[in-house]
Order: sequence, then structure tokens, then C-alpha cells
Amino acid sequence: MYSGPVIDCDVHHARSTDAELIPYLSRGWREYVTDRGPAGNVPLTVQDGFPNPHGFMRADTYPKGGGEPGSDYPTMRDQLLAASDVRRAILTFGDDSHLAGHHNPYFAAELARAANDWSVDRWLSQDPRLFSSIMVGSQLPDVAAEEIRRHAANPRMVQAMLVDNPFNRGFGHPVFHPIYAAAEETGRPVAIHGGAGGWANPPSTGGGSVSTYFETHVLWPQAIQTHLVSFIAHGVFEKYPRLRIVLIEGGSAWIPSLLWRFDAEYKGLRREVPWLKRLPSEYFADHVWVTTQPLEVAPRKENVVELLRSMKLEDHLVYSSDYPHWDADEIEYLTARLPSEWHRRVFFGNACRLYDWKEEDIEHAGAVVEQTR
Amino acid sequence: MRVDVGAVSDFEDRRLRIVIAANHQVGVLRWRDRFYALHNRCPHQSGPVCLGIVSGRLSSEKPGSMEVDEETPVIACPWHGWEFELERGRALWDPSYAVKVVPVRVESDRVVLEVGKSAI
Ligand code: FES
Repeated sequence: MYSGPVIDCDVHHARSTDAELIPYLSRGWREYVTDRGPAGNVPLTVQDGFPNPHGFMRADTYPKGGGEPGSDYPTMRDQLLAASDVRRAILTFGDDSHLAGHHNPYFAAELARAANDWSVDRWLSQDPRLFSSIMVGSQLPDVAAEEIRRHAANPRMVQAMLVDNPFNRGFGHPVFHPIYAAAEETGRPVAIHGGAGGWANPPSTGGGSVSTYFETHVLWPQAIQTHLVSFIAHGVFEKYPRLRIVLIEGGSAWIPSLLWRFDAEYKGLRREVPWLKRLPSEYFADHVWVTTQPLEVAPRKENVVELLRSMKLEDHLVYSSDYPHWDADEIEYLTARLPSEWHRRVFFGNACRLYDWKEEDIEHAGAVVEQTR
Repeated sequence: MRVDVGAVSDFEDRRLRIVIAANHQVGVLRWRDRFYALHNRCPHQSGPVCLGIVSGRLSSEKPGSMEVDEETPVIACPWHGWEFELERGRALWDPSYAVKVVPVRVESDRVVLEVGKSAI
């Protein structure tokens, strides 16, 4: 098994109760949400989606003392951080990641602000290895941009994260651009997490809605593909040339075939998008990273490796566990499925490039982290 | 081989005419006072590229803007729409990929091609 330093790019930290988040809301929104008599609180999370017959969590991640998986730092530390040499973990929220699925844009913006403060306060303070995404209520892109800028001075708030899609337009659409302007300005990548568009807003599947979690999970890459194509076709990387994005939990073996098709179509349809100065695959090469989980499983692992290699994805893949979700990928498992000469890049080096971190700084910091445990 | 393909006045502005020169089909374009010529064979799937539409090159300063460069005529192959600039025959998305051009000049009001032996 790979034993070098690891950066885990998708760790879902969650809260067990509304009561954890409510103190971070403004007084007015606290009043709006709470004490509605027998009706209880106004729900903070979007009530939608498909039920997973197993539940969404790995059964062993429920904290012994109660609460939701991912909600208890010591459990996460012991199960995830200490299980291998995890130097940094990027936190990606639990159900609050779906706040852009709320119909009320003002409420979503406030929830994003509160969730980010909760993340800084309750999580980043506990362990220097933890880094957080910045949730944004993409319903109000200007407010979302301000939220990103609000965290500019905190180097542990490392990326703006988009999940649900409030407008039924690919994320490259100009309506979202204020978010990217702020991300570029503050040097933060934009993370697009799978499941985008699958909750309260547009369906995440092309061709029609599906009926089961099984179908929706198989088809998760569709939404990610839509957003990737949208980013490149709208010239987001021409407009924001320093912007980097990371596609989370959408798989990766489809990327070569999509980019082959994308390049071929560009040759015939360039007239429609003359602002593109390069082939789509060239923008991908300079601006896009992709998480490993869930790595596609082929009967022969060489089939997947060969596909990934055809688009040099060994330089774009960043390790992600998806802890504590039911479909998490273990380091040991990935070690066996990917060529050994890729390991250091995939588990560590590529993420350093994504987040603009110096590898030496992080390797050296290992000793400090030990003391804080 | 030098081939006289007609008088300058035989060529209408912005219209590409296909002529037969030394057994080759060659598209000849008059673009204001300039002439361009290229073989009627697309490097993609050998389509009749010269039957395509000629226009000024579309360009863009920034996403969402659309400008036309009237100094740079381009042709879009009628089969799959790949565009090539007439000057050097180069594809707009890859200058190393090109339709073969034919040297063309005006001599005493006549349009003259220089068709090489090795042409298709
Ligand atoms: S044959 Fe000319 S573009 Fe395909």
C-alpha cells in the first residue's frame, strides 16, 4: 500500500442537529427559522433526492457517542486521518452542501455564510490538517462572490464549492461568472461536486428524470459533464485565465472520450465560439483537476489505466475518499488499481498544484501535526 | 505548371469558382483585389472543400463578443464545417493542418495558377 503523504480532497464533515448551525445565523434569520410552535423549525436542509436503500453512510462511521457520520471530529480523526499519512483533508460538508437547492435565494445565501463560519469555528480550529470548502448560495452570484472574498484572508478556506444548480444552466453560463471572478481574484479553485442539479432543482440526468437512486448514481457523471463542457464552451478560462476547477465525485474514465468528442466538434463548430483560442482538451489540461472517487471499475484494471493515461489524467487526478459515505474508496484499494509511478502524484502532488501548495512545506509540517494530536 | 484560368473580370468578388487546372480541381477566390487558390480536397475526409461558404474570419476579443475580420477570408468545408483560411490553407484550430494551396498571381489582367506536379 502507498505509504507516502496523502491529501484527501473530499471529506464530508456534517452536523448532527440544526442546533449546531442556528447560532451562526444572523438574529433575524434565527428568528425566522426557530420556535414555530408545534411545526418546529423551518427546515435548514433541502428535502429532496432519492433514498439509498442502504442509507448514504458507511455503517461503521456512525460515532459511538451518537450523532451523524462525519459530525464527530475524534471519530473522523481516528478512522480517516490516522489510518494513513493524511497531511491535509478538504472538507466538503454534508447535507448543507445542497443549500443551492433551496428555492429561497436569500435563505440559501445566509445558510452558506453560517455554514462557512460553522466550518471555521467547529472544524478548522480542531486540527491543522483540516481545510474547508467555501459554500456559496449560487442563486445570488454577487452575494456568493462576496462570501468567497470574505474568506480571502483565511488560507484554510481553500475553494468555492458548487453542488446544486439553481438556474438550470450549465455552470459556465455568464450568470455564474461573478463567482469565478472572486475565485480567481482570491486564488481559490472552484469545486464542482457530483450530484449537482439532482436535488430540488433541475434533474441531473439528460433525456428525462430517473426513478431510483441506482439510476441517478450511475448517471452522476452527466451533470459534471454538462458543467465541464459549459465552462470550456463559454470561454470561462479565457475570461479568467488563472482559474482552476476540480470535479468531485463524477468519475474520470469518461473524460478521454468526452474530450475527444469535444475537440472534434470544436473543429466544425468553432464559428459559434470564436472566443476559444485553443482546443477544449488544452483548456482541460491547464485548468481542470478530477477526484479519484469513484474510480471506474473495469474487469481488467489496465483498461481504466489505459484510458486515463490517454488524456494524461495521472497529472489531474487527486485522491478523494468521500468519507464517510457508503461509496468511499480506500487508499489501499486505489493503490492496487493505479500504477505505482502515479501514486505520489495522485495521492499528494497533483493536489498541491491544484491548491497552490508547496510539497516541501506539507511534508515538513508532518512532525508538527503529530504533536497536536 | 503555369495555367491561365481567365481574366480578372471573370471572377466575381467574394465568389469562389472551381476551375480545372492540369487535371486538378482548384478553387479560385477573388476577395476584393486579392486572389487565392486551393485544391478542392479537404484534408479531413476528402470532401469538396471549395463548395463551402467563404466569409471573413470570425473572431472574438472576449467571451460573448463576435467580430469579423474582413481581411482574412476563410472557407468552411461543406461536409463537416471545418474552417480554413485561404491565405495558407491552414485550419483555424491548428495551423499545422491545412488544405493545399496553389500559388496564384495576376499577370496583365489574367489570373494565373502555378500547379505543381505533385498536387493531387
Ligand atoms: S471533409 Fe471537410 S470537414 Fe470533413
